[in-house]
Amino acid sequence: MKEFKLENEPKIESGFKTPEHYFENFSKNFMQQLPEEEPKVISLFQKNKKIVMMVAAVLTISILIPVVYNNSINANNNEIDATALENYLSYQSNINQYELINGLEADEIDNIKTTVVLENATIEDILATNGNLELLMLE
Amino acid sequence: MQEEEEFIQQLLNPTTQNEAFQKLLLTYQKPLYNHIRNIILNHDDTDDVLQNTFIKVYQNLSKFKGESKLFSWMYRIATNEALTFLNQKAKRGGISSETLQNKTIDNLTSDSHFDGDELQIKLQKAIITLPEKQQLVFKMKYFEELKYEQISEILGTSVGALKASYHHAVKKIEAFVTSN
Repeated sequence: MKEFKLENEPKIESGFKTPEHYFENFSKNFMQQLPEEEPKVISLFQKNKKIVMMVAAVLTISILIPVVYNNSINANNNEIDATALENYLSYQSNINQYELINGLEADEIDNIKTTVVLENATIEDILATNGNLELLMLE
Repeated sequence: MQEEEEFIQQLLNPTTQNEAFQKLLLTYQKPLYNHIRNIILNHDDTDDVLQNTFIKVYQNLSKFKGESKLFSWMYRIATNEALTFLNQKAKRGGISSETLQNKTIDNLTSDSHFDGDELQIKLQKAIITLPEKQQLVFKMKYFEELKYEQISEILGTSVGALKASYHHAVKKIEAFVTSN
């Protein structure tokens, strides 16, 4: 068998062919796919991004300041509304009148004492309409 | 070198980019087609890969740092695209890349875009018995007639190693053709 030597043979071509006008069409079609040279469009937001962000930050802070300030005032204010306290003692608390009086100083009790002037007719009306007289007298 | 730098600047400048890219396309479409075709063997697939190669080149122009020459950068992209395509096609068919290439060579006789004779087909069959790197070196040196220095830039292998690789490839091919 004759030994095959590549260097002794004439150059062997690959034998690959392309369709007619393949390269002309390839470059033409490819260039058509490329985007046109257009001026770069920068959105208004992108252009003024820094300014918009700064304005947004100032607005956020200006909204947050009163909220935080009010919260801090309320957090420091330990005084209880008088009406709320009265309602609590009257309806929610288990403290009765005697326990309440024990908790008060003498001058505070004097301040509470009020003189109610009642006409005889008014007293008679109360006694006549209120059947639970004994309980009232005990109170 | 300075000319290439100027050309790269034209490619990166939005106002001159398309015109410069057309020049690039006209210069490199044929050699890159031949390079890809020698790897893939089939025209239709080569057409797809060539398009993908130029798309990648266009999309990555801004990332091209000029550390290597433009031609070797483009050849590298084309080589990677072709090998990736070949491996993916073989994987989809559930066969090895070598089996796929064998099938393609068997179909060459009926391929309208191939006019080779029996010896040319035998040469292709001999090439696919080589390791991937040797195949690439042989095709780039023998068919594409690139210089060792150019192949070295593309494949990142020393000229000495390429010469040894080509020498081994020739010996194996000669043995294959002699015994077949």
